[in-house]
Amino acid sequence: MKKIILITVISSLFLFLSGCKNKETARLIVPDNYTNWTITADNLNYPIPGHENHFRRVFINSTGKKVMTEKKNGRVFYNYPKGTIIIKEIYPSLNPKPETKPISLSVMIKDPDNPKSRDGWVWIVKDLKKNTEKIIDYEFCYDCHTNANEPHPYGDGNPNGDFRDDVFFPYKKGN
Amino acid sequence: MKHFKPITRRVNTIIILSLVFGLGMTTAYFSYNENSALISTTRNNLHQQSDILYQSIKNAMLPGNAPIAVSLFTDIRDINPAYEIMLFRENGVQAFSDNTTIDTVNTNLMRKKFSERLTQINDMFTIHNDPQFTSTVLQRKTSAFQISDKGQTFFTIYKPLLNLPKCAVCHGSDHTIRGIIKIRSNITPIVKKQRINLLIAGAFFILLLLFLTLLLTRFFKTKILGPVKHIGTVCTEVTSGNFNSRVTINNEDEIGVLGDTVNTMVEGLYERFQLSKFVSSSTINSIKNKEEGFKDSITLFFSDIRSFTAYSENKTPEQIVENLNKILSMQTEIIHKYGGDVDKYVGDEVVALFTGEEKEINACRSALEIQKELAARSASHYDGLQVGIGLNTGEVILGMIGSSQRADFTVIGDHVNFASRLCDAAKPGQVIISDSVYTNLHNRFKTSNPYKIKVKGKEKFQRVYILTPLTKEDPEV
Ligand code: HEC
Repeated sequence: MKKIILITVISSLFLFLSGCKNKETARLIVPDNYTNWTITADNLNYPIPGHENHFRRVFINSTGKKVMTEKKNGRVFYNYPKGTIIIKEIYPSLNPKPETKPISLSVMIKDPDNPKSRDGWVWIVKDLKKNTEKIIDYEFCYDCHTNANEPHPYGDGNPNGDFRDDVFFPYKKGN
Repeated sequence: MKHFKPITRRVNTIIILSLVFGLGMTTAYFSYNENSALISTTRNNLHQQSDILYQSIKNAMLPGNAPIAVSLFTDIRDINPAYEIMLFRENGVQAFSDNTTIDTVNTNLMRKKFSERLTQINDMFTIHNDPQFTSTVLQRKTSAFQISDKGQTFFTIYKPLLNLPKCAVCHGSDHTIRGIIKIRSNITPIVKKQRINLLIAGAFFILLLLFLTLLLTRFFKTKILGPVKHIGTVCTEVTSGNFNSRVTINNEDEIGVLGDTVNTMVEGLYERFQLSKFVSSSTINSIKNKEEGFKDSITLFFSDIRSFTAYSENKTPEQIVENLNKILSMQTEIIHKYGGDVDKYVGDEVVALFTGEEKEINACRSALEIQKELAARSASHYDGLQVGIGLNTGEVILGMIGSSQRADFTVIGDHVNFASRLCDAAKPGQVIISDSVYTNLHNRFKTSNPYKIKVKGKEKFQRVYILTPLTKEDPEV
């Protein structure tokens, strides 16, 4: 009798546990050696929504420099190849001292096949103190960044409303 | 049996456990699925609505048409009172409730694009201490949750409205979140439906459980437990001697076969029981105990019908058998009455054995009672036949004598022969006892004086006694 009850309990426990999926372990994907990449925007020392009151610098990897541009109906279309990485350093304040290190990185990685990608980019916030990366797959980063594809008040302002593939400071050949 | 555990209880427990488990899991699974499908459809709908709303607000706001957005909210609220839409600032104050925003925009644009509202919204609403709201602002992420209040259930979505670059032109770049859209829908009817679903599932579960439990227990009772119990009763009856008891199960299954087997077994037992009448109890005992031969001191009883050969000559075989059986039966009955064991009948002769403390006394009692019966009723009942009886006590060998195919448990030895000789010497109605019997009687019976006889096989004269017959007056032996 006790055996029967025991078996019942164990099997229900098993069924119960098998219902829970094990959590996906986060894997770091942002490279550390970005500082010798090409800088697309430096000295961003004014506040902006989304990245706020922090001094910022933007880097692009070599794949990103192979960005393709194409003119269609008078509008230029930018297309960053898969593997493009754009890293924006976020500093603790708007006027950091030269030796100050960034506190976090806002990262865009072109990887349209990634299920967590939005608008073809994987959006990542890397906390440099904790050394953790968080993929933002909900409506935040890309919602704002689609505004880079129309005239906006930042950088060159994209006056012609080019399609800039969600990038506010595009890589321009000859940079 | 250490502790009787009725199988009925176990079978019932197993049935109920497996039903509860099986049915419970299935009903729980289906009702859970049904309910989560219901609620997720509702939620998805609300999320979709909030997305559409978000897009329309974005577009309505941009050209500076905030009032259009405001009237959109009121219109939606009017169409469906169960549906509430509000826009809040980051700090929890309801948007469009005062001129704060208008002032900022005018400052940013360095001209008076919007004139200040004269009448402010009267039922201004502020969100205080709502952790979901705060988390939406901090995480910049849509949050959705369900709360119940006063019997009503609401599903609420907080959706951040970003300070997009196009917004920043008017609103400034010092903040990321422009506002929070709140969409609240009264989902009480859906929750009710969920509850009813659960109730129906529960009722269905209990009904099915009851029905199946009844069905299964009935099946087990009529097809297994009942028949097994019945077989048990038959076995108990047979054990207590009622060989007429039979298993009556009409099942055409294993249990039916078992019943038939038990019946065949009972018949076999009955046959053997009948056969055991023809076997002395010492034979049966010896078989039971798997005895080989052994020595024992016993009292031997020999009785023999006097002049039986002469008697047989004038009678028909039927008469002979009938009267012989009568007289043998009478003797057997009396011998059994005093604890004797009839070893065998040899023609008209009875050989019986008495054992135990009072073996001589019991043997004498039997002998005297047999003679008394014959003295009184020989003519009327036994066709005038008379017997002579000889008794002797001594050590004999008992054992299975014969071959492996056919053997009898019997006694052999000098003392047996001597008892037989004493019987031969006894006249009709007489009981002759040996000296060894006499010494153990301790004067319980009257005897003649001792006298000596010479018997075949013994060199010396043997001292013997004749038991004095019982008179009519002797009430019992
Ligand atoms: C409210 C608008 C807004 C939001 C939300 C926002 N950004 Fe940006 N982002 C900008 C603007 C504007 C720039 C231009 C550079 C600057 O001034 O810092 C920028 C620049 C960047 C850049 C450099 C490439 C470029 O576009 O020039 C990266 C990388 C970046 N953002 C990542 C992110 C990530 C990751 C998130 C989400 C966690 C995010 N951004 C959310 C507005 C936003």
